[in-house]
Amino acid sequence: MEYILEVFLDDYRLSKIKGTPVEDKIEAVFGGELKVLRVKIGEELKDAILKAFETARIDSRSCITDTPVAFKRALFEEIANQKTLDESVVKAVLDRIDEIKEMAAKEAEYLPPPEID
Amino acid sequence: MSELYFNRPMPHGGRLVERVLTNKKAAKKIVDFCEKVGAVYEIKPTLHYKRGVPVRNVYREIMSICYGFFSPVEGSMTSKELELVLSKRRLLSGWVFPYPLLFDISKEDYESLKAKGIGEGDRLLLKLKGKPFAILDIEEIYEIDPAELADRTFGTPEQNPEVVREKFDDKHPGWVIYRSHQPIILAGKYTIINEPVFKEPFNRFWLPPRKCRELLDEKGWRTAIAHQTRNVPHVGHEMLMKNAAYTGDVEPCHGILVNAIIGVKRRGDYPDEAILEAHEAVHKYGYIKPERHVVSFCLWDMRYGNPLESLLHGIIRQNMGCTHHMFGRDHAAVGEYYDKFATQILWLKGIPSYGFDKPPTEVEGGLQIRPQNMREFWYCPVCKEMAYSENCGHTKEKQKLSGSLIRGLVAEGVQPPAIIMRPEVFKTVVKWWKTLGYPFVNERYVERKEKELEVDVPDLD
Repeated sequence: MEYILEVFLDDYRLSKIKGTPVEDKIEAVFGGELKVLRVKIGEELKDAILKAFETARIDSRSCITDTPVAFKRALFEEIANQKTLDESVVKAVLDRIDEIKEMAAKEAEYLPPPEID
Repeated sequence: MSELYFNRPMPHGGRLVERVLTNKKAAKKIVDFCEKVGAVYEIKPTLHYKRGVPVRNVYREIMSICYGFFSPVEGSMTSKELELVLSKRRLLSGWVFPYPLLFDISKEDYESLKAKGIGEGDRLLLKLKGKPFAILDIEEIYEIDPAELADRTFGTPEQNPEVVREKFDDKHPGWVIYRSHQPIILAGKYTIINEPVFKEPFNRFWLPPRKCRELLDEKGWRTAIAHQTRNVPHVGHEMLMKNAAYTGDVEPCHGILVNAIIGVKRRGDYPDEAILEAHEAVHKYGYIKPERHVVSFCLWDMRYGNPLESLLHGIIRQNMGCTHHMFGRDHAAVGEYYDKFATQILWLKGIPSYGFDKPPTEVEGGLQIRPQNMREFWYCPVCKEMAYSENCGHTKEKQKLSGSLIRGLVAEGVQPPAIIMRPEVFKTVVKWWKTLGYPFVNERYVERKEKELEVDVPDLD
C-alpha cells in the first residue's frame, strides 16, 4: 500500500522551490486555496515514521499525519535540497531522527501561536 | 398528521437518575458522621500504568451518573453486573450498557479503610480537592485484574471478528484507562452531596439531562438530533450537522444538540475549552442559526471504543431528550483497531459478538434514539462544494477533509482556508492556544487539567 506525506506550502516555501522540477508537482486543493506537495512512500518507511513518533497516525486519506512540525520542516528542507519527491527525501530525514526528536520534544511543550486579529 | 410525529424518547431505563442531595443541612450531617468514623476517601486520578500521567478521574463518572447522563446506572458496578456488561453489554436490570463503570482503589487504600472498619454495608464520603463531594454506599468489595478488564472491555480480533481489526494495546487510550484501574472495586450507589461549580467556560455549556429536556420543551424542539464531538468543528463537521439534521419526522429536525465529551483526551486532540467555544462560534457567527443549535457537554474520559462508545453516546443523548443521533465514519475512534464503519454496522445490523444480534434499537432493553448513519463529506473541485460521498460522482477528484489534515496546518501556523475551517473557529483555536501556550492537548495540559479540573468544590458550611 502507498502512504502519503503532505507538505503544505506558504509563500516562503514556494519561493524555495521556484524553478526546480518540484515546482511542477505542486498540487492546488480545496478550490485552489491550499498548495501542497505529496511524497509517496511504502510500508517500510511508513512503519519507521510511526515507530519514531508516538503521535503519528494514518488518516482516512492514507496520509501520515500528526508528525511533529520539526519533521515536516526537515522534510521540506530535504525536498528543497534534493529537488525531488522520491522516497530518498524521507530516508534523509530519518537519518536525522535524533536531531528531529530533540526539536520535537521542545515542540511538545510550546508552539508559537500565529498573530491574527 | 400527528401519528407521523416522533415523540421524545423516554430516558434509557425508563426514568432519569438524579442522585444529587441539595439539602445542605442533611449533607453536613452525613459528612460529620463519615468523618467521625473515618469513612473518608480523597478521590485520586487514575494514572497511566506505565507512564504515571493522568488518564482518568472517576469524579467525571460520578457527575455523569448522578446527573443522569448515564441513566439507568446509579453507581459503581457490582461483580455480577460487571460480568454481564463485559459478556453481553447489559446491566443486571437488562438495559443495554457498553462499559464497566467502577470505583477502583489501590490495595493499600483498601487496607487503610479496612483498618478503620470500613467495608460492605458502610457509607464512604468521597472528597474532591479536599472537600466533601459525594458518598458511595458500599454494597460489595471485590478484586479485578486490570489487564483482563481492559482486554474484555474492548474485545479482540478473534472474539469480535465483525469489527475489531487489531489487538488493543497501550497505544489505545481507552484500553489504557481500564488497564490502569486499581485492583480493588468498591461497588455501590453514588450520591453527590455537595454540587461542584463549573468554571468558565464550562459553566455556559452545562446542561444535565433534566435541564436539557426542559430546554428542548422551551425551544419547541419536537425533534432534536445529537452531534457527538471531541473536536473543534471543521466545515465537514458542519456539513454533517446540517445534512444529518434534514432527517426528522415530517420536517427536518427542529434542532441540533452538540454534546462534547469533556475529560482526559489523547495528545493531539484540541483542548476542551477550545472545543466548546469553537462549536459555539458556529452558531454565534450564523453558520447555523442559534435557534436551531445548542452546545453542551458530558464529563467522561473518552474510551475511544467506536461502536461501544456510540452506544454510550446514544444513551447519553437519549437521556438528554434527543430523538436522533448522527453517526459518521470512524465514530469516536483512534488508530485502526476497528472497522471504519463499525458504529454503523452496530446500528444497522448489530454486532452479535458484543451481544447485539440486532441493532441496539431492536433488542430488549435497547435504545429508542434513532441513528442517522452518515457516510462522509469531501470537497469536490468539480461540484465546487462540500459534497456528500454518496451523492457526488467525482470520486477520483474528491479532496477529503480530515481533522488530522487541519491539525497539521494549525501546528505549522498556517491558517486553514475558510472552505475547510471557518475563520471564527480558527480564531477560537488561536485564542486558547495563546491562553494555554499550545494548540493541542499535551502532557502539560493534561496535568494542569487534572490539578484544576473543570469544577471548583464549594465549602459545605
